[in-house]
Parts: sequence; C-alpha cells; structure tokens
Amino acid sequence: MPRKNGHPKPSPKSSPRTGSNHKGNPSPGRWPKSDQRTYTIVDYRLEKPSITLCQVRDGDTVRYQCSGDLNAPVPPIRDSKYLSRDQCIAIYRWMLLNRKMEQALENLYKQGKVVGGVYFGLGQEACSCASAYALRPDEWLGPMIRNQGSLLVRGFSARDIMMQYMAKAGSPTRGRDASSHFGDIQQRNVVAPISTLGDLIPVLTGVALGARLQGRNIAVMTYIGDGGQSTGVTYEGLNFAAVQNLGLVLIVENNLWGYSTPADMQFRVKDLAERAIAYGINGVIVDGTDPCQVYDAAHEACDRARRGEGPTLIEAKMMRMKGHAIHDAAEYVPKPLFEYWRKRDPIARFENYLLKTKSWLTSEENRELIAEIDRELDADREFAVNSPMPTPESAAGGTYCENGCHQIAPKYGAPKAPVTNRRPETLKKSEAAVHLK
Amino acid sequence: MPQLTYLEAIRQGIWEEMERDSAVFCLGEDIGIYGGAFKVTDGFVDRFGPERVIDTPIAESAIVGAAIGASYTGLRPVAEFQFMDFIGCAFNQIVNFAAKCHYRWGAPAPIVLRGPSGGNVHGGPFHSQNPEAYFSHTPGLKVVCPASAYDAKGLIKAAIRDNNPVIFFEHKYLYRRIKEEVPDDDFIVPLGKARLAREGRDLSIITYAAMVHVAVEAAELLAKEGIAIEVLDLRTVSPLDKEAIAETVRKTNKVIILHEDVRTGGLAGEIAAIINEEAFNDLDGPIVRITAQDSPVPFSPPQEEYFLPKVSDVVRESRKLKAY
Repeated sequence: MPRKNGHPKPSPKSSPRTGSNHKGNPSPGRWPKSDQRTYTIVDYRLEKPSITLCQVRDGDTVRYQCSGDLNAPVPPIRDSKYLSRDQCIAIYRWMLLNRKMEQALENLYKQGKVVGGVYFGLGQEACSCASAYALRPDEWLGPMIRNQGSLLVRGFSARDIMMQYMAKAGSPTRGRDASSHFGDIQQRNVVAPISTLGDLIPVLTGVALGARLQGRNIAVMTYIGDGGQSTGVTYEGLNFAAVQNLGLVLIVENNLWGYSTPADMQFRVKDLAERAIAYGINGVIVDGTDPCQVYDAAHEACDRARRGEGPTLIEAKMMRMKGHAIHDAAEYVPKPLFEYWRKRDPIARFENYLLKTKSWLTSEENRELIAEIDRELDADREFAVNSPMPTPESAAGGTYCENGCHQIAPKYGAPKAPVTNRRPETLKKSEAAVHLK
Repeated sequence: MPQLTYLEAIRQGIWEEMERDSAVFCLGEDIGIYGGAFKVTDGFVDRFGPERVIDTPIAESAIVGAAIGASYTGLRPVAEFQFMDFIGCAFNQIVNFAAKCHYRWGAPAPIVLRGPSGGNVHGGPFHSQNPEAYFSHTPGLKVVCPASAYDAKGLIKAAIRDNNPVIFFEHKYLYRRIKEEVPDDDFIVPLGKARLAREGRDLSIITYAAMVHVAVEAAELLAKEGIAIEVLDLRTVSPLDKEAIAETVRKTNKVIILHEDVRTGGLAGEIAAIINEEAFNDLDGPIVRITAQDSPVPFSPPQEEYFLPKVSDVVRESRKLKAY
C-alpha cells in the first residue's frame, strides 16, 4: 500500500536515541493507516496483573472493591542481564537492611521514641535498592519519602535515618527536618526531598544540566508515585528533561495507592509508562517487586543518560504494603489485594531465588548475613536512642549561607562552553514588549 | 563614563558576570535568539552560546527547579521570568525548595530569579504586579528592588555572587526611562544596604524601586515650600537595612513609607513595625503609609493612575505630616 505524502517520520531529534519509541516504518500490510505511528514500551515483567479497583456501595457505606485474577501464580524472579552473583547478594542485603531498619523504626515508634510518623517502603524495597544501585557514586539521586533503601545504597546509614525520625541533634539535618528529608551535595550526591510531590523532578534535571555544562553526561535518578505524577510540576520537569535531552531516570513507583486514593482515580492510561510516549522519551515497565528487573531497566536508563541520550521513564508496578504512614491502618485497601501482593513479597522471593533457584547463597551464609544486619541495626539503634536532642537555641542560624559557610565551585570542573568575541550591541528597539512603556 | 539605561545596566551586569565566571549561565523563556521579551539578554546567545543561554519551555516551576539543581553542582544560574507576575507559577519551588534547603540540610542554592515587575505601563492585572512581599515574607530568600541604573548593575552582580536564592525585581517602568552614568568596570552594590537618595531634615520617605523617583520628585516640589525631605531608597527589601531605617527616623522624626505594592501585608507594615521597635521614642508623628489600593492592578490608564501612588499623594501627605 503506497504511503501518502506527508507521512510523519521519526523526528531527527529523536532518531539517534537508542530504543526510541518511534518505529518509523511500519510494514504496510500490518497497519491499516499509513500515518499510524507505533511506539514501544519495553516491558520486563513476567506477570501482568489485571486487577482493577472500583468504588461500590455496600449497604450504607462506600468501599473499594477489587476484581481480576487474584489467584494468579506468583512469577519467578527474572534473571538479570547484568548483575553478577555478588551484586545480587549486595542488593539483597540492602533490601534486608531497608526492611529491618523500618521494622526497628516501627518498634521505636511504639516505644514513643519517634517524633511524628513513620513512612514505610514495605513491599517496595526492591524498587528503592536496585534502582539506586545502578547509579555511580558521582551521579545523583533524589529520594521520595519511602525510598529509605535508596538512601542506604547512597551511603547513608540506618543510624542517620533513625536519628532523623527521632529528631536528634546528630541527625543529618541536625533536627531541622524529619524522615528521609535529608541530602548531601558534597559527597553522596543526594538531593533532599520536600513534602510536595514532583518538585524533585526539575531539580534533578537541573543537576544533569549543571553537570553537562561542566562537560559530563551523568545519570540523575528520582522517583514519583502514581499519586504524585498527577502534579503539574511532574509534567514540567520531565518535559524540560526531554527537551534538553538530559539524563533523568524517573522511576514511577506505581504502588497503587496515593494515601487512600487508588491509582485508578489518579490517571486514565493503562500503564503510566505510556506517558513516556507523550514526552518523546523511553518508557519501560518493570515488576517493582523484582530487583533484577528494576536493576536492568535502571542500568540501561543510566547508560543512555551517560551516552547523552536523554531521559527514561521506568514504571515499577508493586503495592504499598502499609498505610500512608504509621497512623494509617489502610483499612480502605481490600484484603484480597494485600494477600495477592504479600505472595509477591520482594525479599522472600529474592531470598528464594538466591538460595534455591541460583544456589548463590547457602542457608548458613544467609543466616550470617541476616545476623550481621541485626547486629548493625542494634548498634545503630542504641547509638541513635542514646544520642541527645538538639538544644532549643540550635534552631537559630543557618537560614542563609553567609560568612563563607559554603564554598561554591563547579563540581565536575570548569564549564567549557565556547565563548565568541561578539560584543554587546545597542539594544534592539523593535521588541514586542516595548508597548509596555 | 557611559550613560546607561536601567535595562542596559542590568544587561551589562549579567554580561560581565558571565565573562568573569564561566559558572554563571542564563535560562528562561525566549531569552536566546530573541533576547528576552524586554531584550535584557539581547546578544547573549551569540556571545556565550546556547549552552549558557538556554531557551526553556513555558514552565516556570521547571525553570526554577532546574536552576536549583544546577546550583547544587556549583553553578550560578540566572533565571528570567518573562514577567514577575508569572512567578506565582513557581511559588512552591521558590518558597519550599530553594528558600529552605540551606536551613534544612545545608545545601546552598546560589540562584538568581529576575524579571520585570511593576506597573504604570498599562499592562493590566497580569503584567504589572509587585509580588515582592510574598518573598520577603519567606526566610531564606533575598529580595532586591533597584531604583537606579547604577544600583541595578551593582546589585545584579552582587546577587549573582551571593550564595543564596535572590529574587531580583526589575521595574519595567524604569527600564528605558532612566539613564545615568554607570561605570564600565567591575563594581558591586552590596545586598541589604539602603542608600540616601536625597537628604533632608523635616521628614523621611522610606521607599524602593520606581517609587524612589516619585518620592524624589515630590521632595523637589516641596523644597520650594521649604520642606526638606529625606528619601531613603531601600534597594533590598529582604534583608531590610534596619539601621538605615532607624537612622533616618532618628534624624527627621517623621516618616512616610511609600511603595507601589498593595497596602495590606505590604512591606510598609513591616517597616512601620521595625520603626516601632527601633525608634519609637524618636517619632514626632504617626507613621504614614502611601501604597497602591488593595485591588488587582487595573488595565485602563485612568484606572491605573488612580490605583498607583502618585507625586500628588506624596506631596499631600508630606504637607500633612510636616504640619502635625
């Protein structure tokens, strides 16, 4: 079938990008319309859950009801294309530390030692840890509140996070902010989140912009949820990264709940990865409970970023296995949904994979690894509990960077953008805004 | 010494900083080949290249966010708002991200957010506002409102070198209207220091930005009546130069606070409170506020004239206060 003139071709801007969504020349027999463009969303999943939620009236109350195949068999862990045995064990260890630290925080909360709430990443440890593991030390990460595992991978300790939750003088923010709201632009290259969602996306994009001006294409990673992606700044930030072709790796953590609102009430598309098509960037779907899938997608996205091939949106599908925070019993979540996802627990499955499927870890080694984490957490908890609260006066000062408290210098070397000998000319007089005079 | 307009002075200041320091770069809407809606960055892209003069999508939150992120890598971004009225689009990035990051986790964000503000140009409700009070209210930000070409150059250079987020309100009425001798060389005007625009002994007018010129014009008229008015140009509204404010009150004992922003919650209230705290015993009369009325900026010229503080308002209030 001959094509009409004016058939839209892949734009020259997007064609050099590896794995571009645009497949410019569909075979004529297969596609009915000559101007049809097709897009590819890479999907690494071994299982594609088809569970939907709706609001139903139940007597004199309204509740959520789920439907779909809730008895589907649990998928195996997908073999990684890149991870070695040791790397898999390293990620497994981070995931365990992530979970056990949060269990310790829950106990500290019950003992009344935590100021405020506790936010959990239960069920999301694979996503936090395996994604952050794909970054190099001189690359950057901006966590959301549940990505405490990502902070551990970036070099913060469980002690740091515990001290944040207990508002201690020795916490990374010296008591000034809570939870995972801390960062480090000197060594660990972590941008502290703020409570509103999506705001990290343009900021991490700016980090990549700054590095590029200094001659480096780096990967910068941040996260957004199925709830947070509804914000306008998410669009602004990701579109900016796309237009500037910056190395943003955006992990969209579709954990099915934004506080108490199900994902189905946040967006209409089937998969949030489809959003990538609209930005003209790469989109990938992974099972967020499978660390190998998460790592592989993140690793490939980081490599694209380092090659200067622009941003990637990775949708990680999973479920938040607790309430929004510790106060929230999540009674609005239908019980069968919890049961479905509990069978897909990332740590239990990865443990089974390492011990049984791959035989990379003996039971004895696993016990020792767990015992070592417990010892580390015991020591961190003791230190954090016994460390002092800040003095009241320590609330003062530091609002401004003054008197040489920080030296600002390009991190990756002096920017080398070429400068011409052009001199400033007399201002043009014919500008549009001159009517405002 | 060359005569420069207020706009040319700002342009020269940014240009010099970009030449001096390769860590300085600009981003904003239409600032590249087009040179910006008011041509502040005219010719910059030819000189410094599209890498350092970046045309962005129409996305103020992304512009500010990207500036913050780039500053974390040690650069000094200068982001343009096409009109400062649009700064509301980026409010969260400014007040919750940029302003708080040093206090919370010790990350300085040396960014400059600049653009045209102010009325008297018949721009209507969305091209005429003076939104400085939203930001002077936010700890962690510095807010600059220059009144002269000399100050505009010196202050933009100081803002770029500052390690904090600085919001730089250029007054579009002044862009091409005022011209003065501005040194061609490298000088800065420090943030947080007011200047006496005119000395006098009878009463003080504390003001900033375009209203400095209104105050000086009124002072010249009143001089003929034998009323000697002192005009204090704040230059920076955050941090406020409390010493200079108290000093002029101690000298003249009577004070008018004049600004183009609306009345309620405007800086005049804050300045009055500072005078109350620092120089109450030196006052020989009530603190007088002259401001725009509490409404959006109307479009039609007769309405806008009604809305804005005028020389005649200052003359009338000054006579009353002198006689008090």
